[in-house]
Amino acid sequence: MQEKWRKLWLRIVFFVSVVGPGIISANADNDAGGITTYTYVGAHFGTKMLWVLLLVTISLAVTQEMGVRLGIVTRQGLGGIIRENFGIRWTTFAMVTMLVANVGTVIAEFAGIAAAFSIIGVSKYIAVPLAGLIIWFILYKGSFRTTQKIFLIFSAFYIVYIINGFVIKPDFGQAVSSLFIPQIEWTSPFLLTMIALIGTTITPWGQFFIQSYVVDKGLAIKHYRAERAEVFMGAFITDIVSFFIIICAAATLYKFGIQINDAGDAAIALRPLAGGMAQLLFAFGLFSASMLGAFILPTTTAYAFCEAFGWESGFNTTWKNGRAFYTIILGTIIISGLFVLIPHIPLVRVMILSQDLNGILLPFILIFVVKILNNKRIMGKHVNKPIGNIVSWLTIGGIIVATVALVISSILGLA
Amino acid sequence: MPYLSHLLNRQVKDSSDEKVGKLQDILVIPKSGEYPALEFLAILKAKSKDLIFIPYEYVETISREEITLKNLYNSVHVQERVAEGLVYLKKDVLDQQIVDIAGVRVVRVNDLRIGVVNDQMSVLGIDVGMGGILRRLGIDWLGKTGLLKVNLIDWRQTKFMHGLLKLDRAQQKLNKLHPADLANIVEDLNLRHGSKLVVSLDADSAARVLEEVDPNLQKVLVKYLGPEKVAEILTKMTDSEIVDLVKVLPRNEARLFLSQIKSGQLKKIEQLLSYPDNTAGGLMNVDFATVRPGWTIQEALKEVKNASPKLRSVLYVYVTDEDGYYHGKFSLRWLVISPPEMKIRDILKHYPHPQPLHPHQKIKDIAATMTKYNLLTAPVLDSKHRLLGIVTIDDVMSQLLPKA
Repeated sequence: MQEKWRKLWLRIVFFVSVVGPGIISANADNDAGGITTYTYVGAHFGTKMLWVLLLVTISLAVTQEMGVRLGIVTRQGLGGIIRENFGIRWTTFAMVTMLVANVGTVIAEFAGIAAAFSIIGVSKYIAVPLAGLIIWFILYKGSFRTTQKIFLIFSAFYIVYIINGFVIKPDFGQAVSSLFIPQIEWTSPFLLTMIALIGTTITPWGQFFIQSYVVDKGLAIKHYRAERAEVFMGAFITDIVSFFIIICAAATLYKFGIQINDAGDAAIALRPLAGGMAQLLFAFGLFSASMLGAFILPTTTAYAFCEAFGWESGFNTTWKNGRAFYTIILGTIIISGLFVLIPHIPLVRVMILSQDLNGILLPFILIFVVKILNNKRIMGKHVNKPIGNIVSWLTIGGIIVATVALVISSILGLA
Repeated sequence: MPYLSHLLNRQVKDSSDEKVGKLQDILVIPKSGEYPALEFLAILKAKSKDLIFIPYEYVETISREEITLKNLYNSVHVQERVAEGLVYLKKDVLDQQIVDIAGVRVVRVNDLRIGVVNDQMSVLGIDVGMGGILRRLGIDWLGKTGLLKVNLIDWRQTKFMHGLLKLDRAQQKLNKLHPADLANIVEDLNLRHGSKLVVSLDADSAARVLEEVDPNLQKVLVKYLGPEKVAEILTKMTDSEIVDLVKVLPRNEARLFLSQIKSGQLKKIEQLLSYPDNTAGGLMNVDFATVRPGWTIQEALKEVKNASPKLRSVLYVYVTDEDGYYHGKFSLRWLVISPPEMKIRDILKHYPHPQPLHPHQKIKDIAATMTKYNLLTAPVLDSKHRLLGIVTIDDVMSQLLPKA
């Protein structure tokens, strides 16, 4: 009996030792763009899009698992593998694609910071530059890992949505049936929001992030099963939260026909639980989610670039040697910050559109990932199984079809 | 002088101006400390799309304008396969990571400079700069503004991580780099290549490097080195270095690691492991030269000479009797200047005896004692006054400033 407990205990210890990559990566998907997009989805389309969320969850689990496997087998980052197997032109293409998507996301994070502070009446002209400085200072001087963990703990705020969901007592039966019954409108607002929903959950940076995290952690093939379990769990937990954000918004905002024009509107979804505190609570959640993303993204971008092009990276390099590394980090922070400071820029719209940009660019990165995972020379016996390929290609195909449909519907003026 | 990127995919023509096919790759045989001469052209044949190899001796010209053969295609001795050990410049070298030994860093190969040396067309340098990237993207006019410097590394100054260029001169140079610099390189490389690099070092350098790398990486590296290399490295490590390493390892790895150690040594190591990191017991090392009080200077000198190869450094000589009781220490200087017949016991009389350390003393306390008495090393004694080990000032420093 004791032996049995000991074994169980060992298993738990083993599992905990690999925890991190999957949960952090999946959780960081619920960043500023994420919260806003999910609220927007619920507020404008009720529970109609829940089926997309279900498919996206499966797809997130599968693509993140591929990133884990790739990291474990090759023990290098995605940028390096693309460079060594596709040559410099494709590498440049992949890197520029990632850069555009990531700058878009960092813009969304700063927009989230601006929006959060606007709720408590602080001007974005003060909040955004200050946040930029803090982010840079912590990245440069402090501990990235610790900060990351602090904001991850803050993001436990999402539990609020789950409790809120039970307080509201929405029609769960109807919500669950929406998970399985696809409803689609061939209009550009619907398609645009749908692509944002996909693009905020599965992201180009998420592929780079999980892989380099696995490599940095030094996980080996014996950790694979535990790590896969963690990735699946991460995807599941994250999207449970997304599910509740959507049904909370659907049961409040959608029900009363409130459209989201600024972050204050989005906070209304939390009223049933928090009452008068809803605004403040939402502002706090949005802020910490934005900060988490704003920490992870510039660094992930810079590491991937430097690995692909062979430039020196890391915060222990000197300014002279690490010029490219520091330029990318500072550049993304400054450009994104300045973009958000444009007077009268609609912050919610910026956040949603940046997630669309991520969604539209995602297939390009996923195609690289799938091609590498089917390469026997690289993956050996760990090449993709049919199920991984089917889900990946369906994701890639689905996004492309939605994008084409969006373009056509915009031209035809179906809005 | 062309770059590889100028040549790849260019039409190859024979002496009658007939198209043979497109240049697919160039093959070389790397030799230690030399610029490798071009050996074969790999060509994708125009019609059949077969890959063929043409020995370089048939090449008339190779430049960015044209690649031509000396003979008619029919009279060329074409090979369909080549021997092992040849390196494909495009497939194996281009876009891969290499170690730039002179610059002590890891870079990626953006392009290769090809030119004549000793009457032979050879690979001269490796372009690791922005210019190479732009050239390969076909937008090198951007670089002609003079903003971007060409950044070439001498081929002989580099080390490939593919295991193709094994023990060449570059390798010897690697062994000569300072372990701290090598450790930085290992940290920069991806893990697969980093562990390969450590394996390729001689056991002594490998041991020094392993000791210098970041503790997180140490943990991972030990796993990838494999038991054989670990056993080899272990023989080159002092007991206290082994202890430091074992401390960062997860329990299972640590057990595997310790299983490689002989039982006599193991006992000592287990004893050392029982002290916490920030105490004299955790900091001390157990490799030092000991002599007996009754010996003469001459005998002591002989003993130090014998023990020296196993010791990292010898600053002081420690005096213990047969049962390990501590009598004192004296510096190398005294060993050198004293008359050969003088007894050790008599030297100790002239020598000051600062307070020794006990194994559970805390780091702050140790630092204070060593600073007060200006000590480079301090002996650690147990309650019965037996010598357990010595703490050196660098052990203290690295505990106080772990990031340096």
